[in-house]
Amino acid sequence: MTGEFIAFFILALLTIGGAVFMISFTRVVHMVVALAFTFLSIAGMYILLEAEFVGMVQILVYSGAISILMLFGIMLTRHDASEVEERRNPVKWLIRAAIAVFFIIVFFGIQSVQWSDKPADFTQKDNVKEIGVQMFTNYVIPFEMVSVLLLVALVGAIILAKKEAEGE
Amino acid sequence: MGAYLEQSLGLQNSLVFILSAVVLLAIVLGFVTYSIYFQRKVLGWMQLRIGPNRVGPFGLLQTVADVLKLLLKEDIIPKAADKPLFIIAPVIAFVPAFGVLAVMPFTDKLHFADVGVGLLYYIALSGITVLGVITGGWASNNKWALIGAMRSAAQMISYEIPLVMSVVGVILMTGSLNLIDIVEKQKEMGMWFFIPQFLGFIIFIIAQLAELSRTPFDLTEAESELISGYHVEYSGFRWAFFMLTEYVYIFAMASLTTVLFLGGWLPPFEFLSFIPGIIWFALKFVAIVFFIFWLQATFPRMRVDQLMQMGWKVLLPLSLVNILVTAVLKTVL
Repeated sequence: MTGEFIAFFILALLTIGGAVFMISFTRVVHMVVALAFTFLSIAGMYILLEAEFVGMVQILVYSGAISILMLFGIMLTRHDASEVEERRNPVKWLIRAAIAVFFIIVFFGIQSVQWSDKPADFTQKDNVKEIGVQMFTNYVIPFEMVSVLLLVALVGAIILAKKEAEGE
Repeated sequence: MGAYLEQSLGLQNSLVFILSAVVLLAIVLGFVTYSIYFQRKVLGWMQLRIGPNRVGPFGLLQTVADVLKLLLKEDIIPKAADKPLFIIAPVIAFVPAFGVLAVMPFTDKLHFADVGVGLLYYIALSGITVLGVITGGWASNNKWALIGAMRSAAQMISYEIPLVMSVVGVILMTGSLNLIDIVEKQKEMGMWFFIPQFLGFIIFIIAQLAELSRTPFDLTEAESELISGYHVEYSGFRWAFFMLTEYVYIFAMASLTTVLFLGGWLPPFEFLSFIPGIIWFALKFVAIVFFIFWLQATFPRMRVDQLMQMGWKVLLPLSLVNILVTAVLKTVL
């Protein structure tokens, strides 16, 4: 029982619990809060794996995204809205069976992978620096492509919004 | 503290960690108590009033009495409120406020964690408070609380961008996100970052005030004009939690400013280095806290549209210019 194991156990529980609650809640805002727990515990997992940078970016990006998602959830739904109970559907059983099969395949897939016995050791490296070096040497073209893609998305969004405003 | 971080996590040093966290919490609570007293005294002094002077000598126990009153108040949860979220919202808001203190280096020896991404950790974690604010505003089931939460979230999200952008200059000059490295770099350069990064410093100070929702950006809690925003339905200790969050953020932000721009624990001149670093840190820290209260005493409150325009049309372009200039200077020099 190391501290790492306990931390992993708690984080795993929070991740899965958040996801399950996310599915089972009926109010949008509750769902978003459950989702936030999932995302934050995933960030905790990254930190446990000594990928602090990825973990922090996970929090930075997703916590911002969650707040925005929540604002949309509030603005686009009624406050007292909750879903009506759906009728029993024969298709549902089919979906459940498919999920079960998928789970079995993935489970045995993971079981049969040959992991190397030695855990990777990143403690000596500054992983922020490594990411930076990689990004601006080996992966500079994909990096630039992504920035162009985001720029196009930004410009496109502005153009779409602008047209709507003129139409009024 | 650094020696403990090197060891593997056993029963003994986890006890040390827990105890030191409790000590930090006690220090922060003490700071919050007396910063409120200090704030009221400074405001009184600047506005030619007296300020608290009845409870205890010089009114020193005024905040303690106020907190006691808040704790004894009836805890009201509105009937139509979303109960679980209403209860959890102050917690979501407060936990990151205390969590960010973990990476703050008070001196080169006295710090809780030595994370390679310290600055990013601070920025990322402080963003979660917005979630608590929105949750609180929504769960109150009150139009005004909801609008207040929206206003608050808009302000915090808008000002987070210039805040992050303004420290990019510092990161570029240091080449690291580690807060300890940033202070070491200032020692190496022989000057603090507020001189070479003056524009960044100004943007940071303004954006920081907005993030803390202090005057002139305290639209989130404008009691008389805007019925105090997202926490209008909160009472007793839940309300106290939101207030505590705000003051703990003052503690964290003042520490962060000290570390990033004012050289952390470094003395201003070499011959003064016999004075321990923690004293220098505390002096700079107190100066910033005083500055925040000073502005509160003298500035009028901004309108919400002015606030948004300032964030997006003034601070954001300026911080981009700052990044550009810093990058160019770094490559040229």
